[in-house]
Amino acid sequence: MSRPISRLGLLARLIGSVTILAIAVLAGIAIGETAIEPSIVLQTLANKLWTAGYGLDPIDEGIVWSYRLPRTLVAGACGAGLAICGLILQALLRNPLAEPYLLGISAGASTGAVLIAVIGVGGGLISLPVGAFAGAVVAFGLVAILARTSRGASASSQIILAGIAGSQLFNALTAYLITKSASAEQARGIMFWLLGNLSGVRWSSVWMAIPAVAIALLVCFWYRRALDAFTFGSDSAASLGIPVRQTRTVLIACAAFVTAIMVSIVGSIGFVGLVIPHAVRLLVGSRHTRLVPTSALVGALFLISADILSRILIKGQVLPIGVITALIGAPVFALLLIRGARVR
Amino acid sequence: MSDPLTTNSEIVLECQALGYAVRETWLVRDISLSIARGERIGIVGPNGSGKSTLLKLLAGIMKPREGQVQLMGRALQGLNRREIAQTLAFVEQQADTLDAISVQDAVELGRTPWLSPVQPWSERDDEVVRHALQDVALAHLSTRAWKTLSGGERQRVHIARALAQTPQVLLLDEPTNHLDIRQQLALLKLVHGLPVTTVMALHDLNQALTCDRLAVMSSGRLVALGPPHDVLTPQQLQNTFGVAGRWLIDPVDGARMLRLEHLSEQERETHD
Ligand SMILES: Nc1ncnc2c1ncn2[C@@H]1O[C@H](COP(=O)(O)OP(=O)(O)OP(=O)(O)O)[C@@H](O)[C@H]1O
Ligand SMILES: [Mg+2]
Repeated sequence: MSRPISRLGLLARLIGSVTILAIAVLAGIAIGETAIEPSIVLQTLANKLWTAGYGLDPIDEGIVWSYRLPRTLVAGACGAGLAICGLILQALLRNPLAEPYLLGISAGASTGAVLIAVIGVGGGLISLPVGAFAGAVVAFGLVAILARTSRGASASSQIILAGIAGSQLFNALTAYLITKSASAEQARGIMFWLLGNLSGVRWSSVWMAIPAVAIALLVCFWYRRALDAFTFGSDSAASLGIPVRQTRTVLIACAAFVTAIMVSIVGSIGFVGLVIPHAVRLLVGSRHTRLVPTSALVGALFLISADILSRILIKGQVLPIGVITALIGAPVFALLLIRGARVR
Repeated sequence: MSDPLTTNSEIVLECQALGYAVRETWLVRDISLSIARGERIGIVGPNGSGKSTLLKLLAGIMKPREGQVQLMGRALQGLNRREIAQTLAFVEQQADTLDAISVQDAVELGRTPWLSPVQPWSERDDEVVRHALQDVALAHLSTRAWKTLSGGERQRVHIARALAQTPQVLLLDEPTNHLDIRQQLALLKLVHGLPVTTVMALHDLNQALTCDRLAVMSSGRLVALGPPHDVLTPQQLQNTFGVAGRWLIDPVDGARMLRLEHLSEQERETHD
């Protein structure tokens, strides 16, 4: 399975992936409450990127360039990022349920973000993503300590139990902070944001989300063999020559970093990190050389599609994207499970 | 690619005054061993006597509280994991996975210490993996899924994975566990036929007789070390294992073997 793919094959795959992504992004821009012709989308992009000088309606141009394009790019980055986070955590913790949402990382990031946004911790000196990152790291630290010190059962189920406890704690903290300090208006906005919301996304978010995902993707790809080596557990990884502690630290920090960035931009979106890696494993097997890029691609496509649906499902209203991911994700996952069980 | 560790000395693996503790409880303590190139060492002892702990310390998977281990004459702490894994392979007592991997995938993991993020899989890696699978007679199962394998087949896959590391020293923790008698004998023959230094924990004392030297563990201590016939004396068997043992001679070829019998608590006391 790890046969090296020929250079030509690699190039073909790369071109294929980029094409599919580009089509998805185009769809993400064109479809919405006001549908925009794909040709107008392309002309706008040509105007902005190469100053092609097509004469276009400035309103259409504005929708395409200032709203839908950044929104779709962030959706894609977010899907790719969360999928990789789930992949990393599942491989390292040897638990199929591990993902940023279940392990309390998303909840911690939300608390951190709310502390900055509502309470004003840091007096405007600390930005929202920094707060979210600190929250994510604190939450995961607490969960890890709890999992380590509580004796009993197997270590891998321990971390999930600890994660659930951590999520509850941080979600409660977030709710407490909001009730205590936010105005009714603010509270509604924050709750909406916490369920996952791409409405407020502008170009500044794109410049955070895409580099974060690119870094995470490179790091994961660099560590792909190490991730494989955890197949039989961490002792086995160590005897295969992997510096276990260093690898874990780097990769989990990477997952916390990406989760924090994503939560600070779009709120916490569950399910993507859990479902995408499993679905992709059924497609390409369990070696990370393929899993890492494929998960990122499928995650991006999934969230771009979910975003499109969230805009058109109910006329005149945008659903929180977290609702859509769960609504599509759960049945698709069930189907894959049934099919997978039959195939193997 | 880095060069594998080498040494001119005959001693490939040794430890001095090795000890490991969890809080105040010593799991193993005061263990000194020198293992020569090509030697086959058996570690025997009752359940909980510290065999697995000792093997993990020797493999560098756990850090000793006291003493140190030297691999090829170099302190284990001074080597990185990759260098250790290129020289020494370890097969755990239990290692399982839920991942849907094939036998081929599992054995390919053994090449991990020889690959790097920028170093692609090569023909030589293919060659090594193929050999490892042949050595454990599993070539015909290479495409089978891990979860469809029997316990004995899994054990052989683990050994093939260790062999794919092309190690000079092989540590095995109860490799004959879960195997039927034929597979047990086949596996011992296989391991003894390998051109590597082996250290393995075993429970069957008659099987342990095939080793060059035996290390007898009891309550975390090394209580005897030497050729099997010298260390497995009736007195030692009674003290360490709490069983009565007598040496018998096979009339056909004159080979010596152990006859073991249970001792009741009363008998154990009166014999003391
Ligand atoms: N983390 C731990 N904390 C406390 N005690 C431990 C720990 N790990 C192992 N032990 C104890 O240390 C002792 C030695 O364990 P070890 O696994 O090395 O024994 P063993 O000789 O391999 O036994 P077996 O034949 O059953 O495999 C046992 O009594 C075990 O209960
Ligand atoms: Mg043991």
